[in-house]
Amino acid sequence: MGFDINFAIEIVPLVLKGIGNTILVAILSFFGAVALGFFWEMLRRSHRLMRPFAQFIIDAIRSTPALVQIYFLYFVLPYYGIVLPAMFVGIFGLSFYFSGYLSEVFKAGIDAVPAGQSEAAYSLGIGWRDTVAFVIAPQMLRNIAAPTGAYSISILKTTPLLAVIAVPEMLGSAFDVASKTYRYAEPMLVAGALFLALSLLAVGVISRIERRLGLGPSLKLKSA
Amino acid sequence: MSLFEILSSIYEGFGVTASVTILGLLYAIPFALLAGVLQHFSTGTARWSITAVIEFWRSSPAIVLLYAFYYSLPAFDVYLSATTVGSMVLGLNAGAYSSQAVRAALQAINRGQCEAGLALGLSRFTVLRLIEIPQAISAMIPTFINDVIQLIKGTSLVSLITLTDMTYRAKEIAQLSYDPAGIYSGLLLAYLIICYPVTVFGRYLERSQQEKRAR
Repeated sequence: MGFDINFAIEIVPLVLKGIGNTILVAILSFFGAVALGFFWEMLRRSHRLMRPFAQFIIDAIRSTPALVQIYFLYFVLPYYGIVLPAMFVGIFGLSFYFSGYLSEVFKAGIDAVPAGQSEAAYSLGIGWRDTVAFVIAPQMLRNIAAPTGAYSISILKTTPLLAVIAVPEMLGSAFDVASKTYRYAEPMLVAGALFLALSLLAVGVISRIERRLGLGPSLKLKSA
Repeated sequence: MSLFEILSSIYEGFGVTASVTILGLLYAIPFALLAGVLQHFSTGTARWSITAVIEFWRSSPAIVLLYAFYYSLPAFDVYLSATTVGSMVLGLNAGAYSSQAVRAALQAINRGQCEAGLALGLSRFTVLRLIEIPQAISAMIPTFINDVIQLIKGTSLVSLITLTDMTYRAKEIAQLSYDPAGIYSGLLLAYLIICYPVTVFGRYLERSQQEKRAR
């Protein structure tokens, strides 16, 4: 069975059906990962005794495959009677997986603000809350913008994993086409091309946003 | 099934996980070095085309690359085993990430290093081989360790193209015995046992390098 270019072009709209869900899942997972990652980082900083505990959670999240974490959530939760839609499990799984990486980004971003900044604020009589809100946070946000942007791309590139738990995203629609027509080569290549185009487009959008915010064009993609 | 029994049957797939990782590294390391060095030194069309190759392997999702190559190579009359396809795709994907670490490390080297080498009469290639690459490699090792962890974790994807790795084993025994909680916890633990020491080691290297740089 050779490669049929006409068939490949024909199925592009069918595969594209899932693109809305792909983007939706990526965006929701991104916010989930930022929130949870920030929570881990605050837990790590909250107390001396909390530190090793939070550190272990973060390292454990980073030391297990995303696929396995998603399987775990998808197969184990129903066993305890918690039945959630696949989409929800998928978004939670991706948020959980990337929260480990983002907490490290937040850690580096906060650590990179020199101690002299908060000392200067305290000596000027500025309170703790205002120091965090107006002195530390703005500098930290600037530090974390580029790596956080890079992880948003990584999240987008990890969404096709959710096809294994039947979330109707783009790789899932490619599999729908494949199982209906018994042809796998074309749908898979079309999905590959579309995901590549989508992620290059996302890189373009993110570096545009960064330039708009005056953060410089350097978008360094990190692995994951 | 006890946790020990679960772990020991999951680790029956360790051989496949390990061989895909090692074969993957055999693709990743040469590709990363070659692509990183070429991207650093080339200009114009050559640079554009090497960047396109890197971006292809780096910007596509690993799972989609895996399926695309696994299912469409036979349509072009290329018949490769699942192990070959899996390790090649995951290896080149990881290598493309690492190539950026190579390039960044080369860019970070002080220009005086190269100038001094040339002034001593060394050829440009000898300068690259004896002066720049050794320094770049020691600078990129923490990033490289992270990429290796990504590769080990990424091998769980080969369970989707019928290879009997640890993830595949777990799915198999999960179907036989109705104990998903125990088996998938065991699977998480199985990967944690392998990757956690590497994660901690990578962070230790990163920190010691930061201290060296701060001095």
